[in-house]
Amino acid sequence: MPWYLYLAIRQLFPSGRKFPFFTAISVLSVALGVALLVVVLGVMGGFGSQIRKMIVDTQGDVQVRSSSFIVHPHKVLAEIEKVPGVAAATPFAEGVVMIENHNKPAYPSIEGIDVNRIEKVIPLRKYIRAGSLDDLDDDSTILSYELADSIGAHLGSHIEVYTPLILEKLKRDEIILPRVLKVVGILEIGHQQLDSSVMICTLRTMQDLYGLGNAVHGINIRLDPGVDADAAAARLNSTFPADSGLQARSWYQINKDFLWVLQLEKNMMLFILLFVVLVAAFLTMSLLLVLVLKKTREIGLLAALGAERREVALCFCLQGVAVGVVGTVVGLGLGFTLLHFRNDAVELLTRFTGSQQVLERFYQFSQLPAHSDPRDIVIIVVSAMVLSTLAGLVPALIASRMKPVDALRSE
Amino acid sequence: MTPMSGPIISAHSLVKSFPSGDGRIEVLRGVDLEVAPGESVSIRGESGSGKSTLLNLFAALDAPDSGEIAWDGSPTLSPRRRSALLGIVFQSFYLVPELDARANVLMPSRIAGRVDREARARADELLAKVGLGGRLHHLPNQLSGGERQRVALARALMNRPKLILADEPTGNLDEHTGETVMNLLLSLCAETSTALVLVTHNEGHAARTDRQVRLHDGRFVPVA
Repeated sequence: MPWYLYLAIRQLFPSGRKFPFFTAISVLSVALGVALLVVVLGVMGGFGSQIRKMIVDTQGDVQVRSSSFIVHPHKVLAEIEKVPGVAAATPFAEGVVMIENHNKPAYPSIEGIDVNRIEKVIPLRKYIRAGSLDDLDDDSTILSYELADSIGAHLGSHIEVYTPLILEKLKRDEIILPRVLKVVGILEIGHQQLDSSVMICTLRTMQDLYGLGNAVHGINIRLDPGVDADAAAARLNSTFPADSGLQARSWYQINKDFLWVLQLEKNMMLFILLFVVLVAAFLTMSLLLVLVLKKTREIGLLAALGAERREVALCFCLQGVAVGVVGTVVGLGLGFTLLHFRNDAVELLTRFTGSQQVLERFYQFSQLPAHSDPRDIVIIVVSAMVLSTLAGLVPALIASRMKPVDALRSE
Repeated sequence: MTPMSGPIISAHSLVKSFPSGDGRIEVLRGVDLEVAPGESVSIRGESGSGKSTLLNLFAALDAPDSGEIAWDGSPTLSPRRRSALLGIVFQSFYLVPELDARANVLMPSRIAGRVDREARARADELLAKVGLGGRLHHLPNQLSGGERQRVALARALMNRPKLILADEPTGNLDEHTGETVMNLLLSLCAETSTALVLVTHNEGHAARTDRQVRLHDGRFVPVA
């Protein structure tokens, strides 16, 4: 082992001392910065990943819509299913209704689904918290759980549904009674906005409620695993006649702006939090500068013993590198441990502050998601290492420029 | 290659000055000295007479304003060659506080890139010779002043140098301990045929060397 590496290690971890304060403080500062980055970017990545998954789960990989309605959905469905890469497709109709249960009103989004096809495209069954998707028929509905809570509905409740069509008929002095649907399922998607405002019924019921006839608003498509959604959307568009008004868009294209904002938010967070690592690097630098000043005579001695200037510089620079390496490793460990126990930590925190519901309301999810992108980890590791090395470089240059005789004479 | 019979160090017309206020103060004003292999030379003089400055020039830790120095026949001394040719003993010991006695002694060998079983055995042997065979793993702060200087002495001899430069090696020690260290220094140099340049205030110590010189007003003057 070269002497400068040996001495760097011995100065960081001196023998005979139980606890190396200088090293511990430097390593801890880098570790905290790295851990903070890992946790924040992990949670941010989790939010992004959860949102992407939710979008794909609830919309499919590709969505086909028409400039008005898709009047002959079965014909379009047959065309879509011929396209390579398409695994399944299901039509839907959507809108907004007013519902009422024991004089408690709500204004949810309603989606009519084809019960025979839906599960090939959207894994709806896994989101059913109570009741069953099998019980959904033309006289029943499934409510998201917060929506059901807000109107006091539960399994077996009968709710009244008012649609814009009723208002149209009222204008023509026709008296139409609201449609009564039995609640046969309670849904929990895990996204607060959806869990408080979604109502599901059969496609036929929705077509009745909105007077659509056989028409639908769109078709959700599930692709075979590994098929690129943008490419599949392009293939679908090429098969549609030009005058059909049909347009296929991938989930990414539909939510492009929103996903861009998510990415921007994450990148900004990375940029801002890198300053924490920068501060840690400055702390390491200042501690190493103190060490250089404290060891001025030793630097002179090393020169007297035959050390080259660059070796003296390396001795101090390596201490910065070592602090960076150990701090990054400890920080990664700490960060991933915190990420692993994130939900316990949040639960503990919210139990003390009584803010569980507030958290769900504002952060949309019932569990704190986490997803660490390997690219983020590489950026964190490289940044911490580069900054720590630079932190060691300044004291190293100062040490190497000392004249041995001046260093030995210093008080 | 340099002939073995030539001086281990030769200095001619050395001049060295330092900035002082608006001008410069001349500390060495034309110093000549040659030290033969195995010879011991003591340099005495008042404080500020330039003894330590001369020693720093001999150690190539500083450069003269003018004049020439040759180390074993060569006018240049790279750090690595200094490590092989010279051993230096300072008044203030200058041990690395994080390293134990054995690691401190091994340091010149480590810097020269030679740390093997043989080097460790030599370090242990040298520490035993200076009476610290039982304190190999003691840190400097666990040793007395005299013991630290003995470690520094062993360190100076580690690379089997041809010349030891000792700058008031007993200056920070009491009389008895200083005597012990001086005995060791002189006996080890004699035993290993290592030349010695000893800077000292102590007349008695100086008298034990082969040759005495005295620095006064930046020049060597005859010893009274």
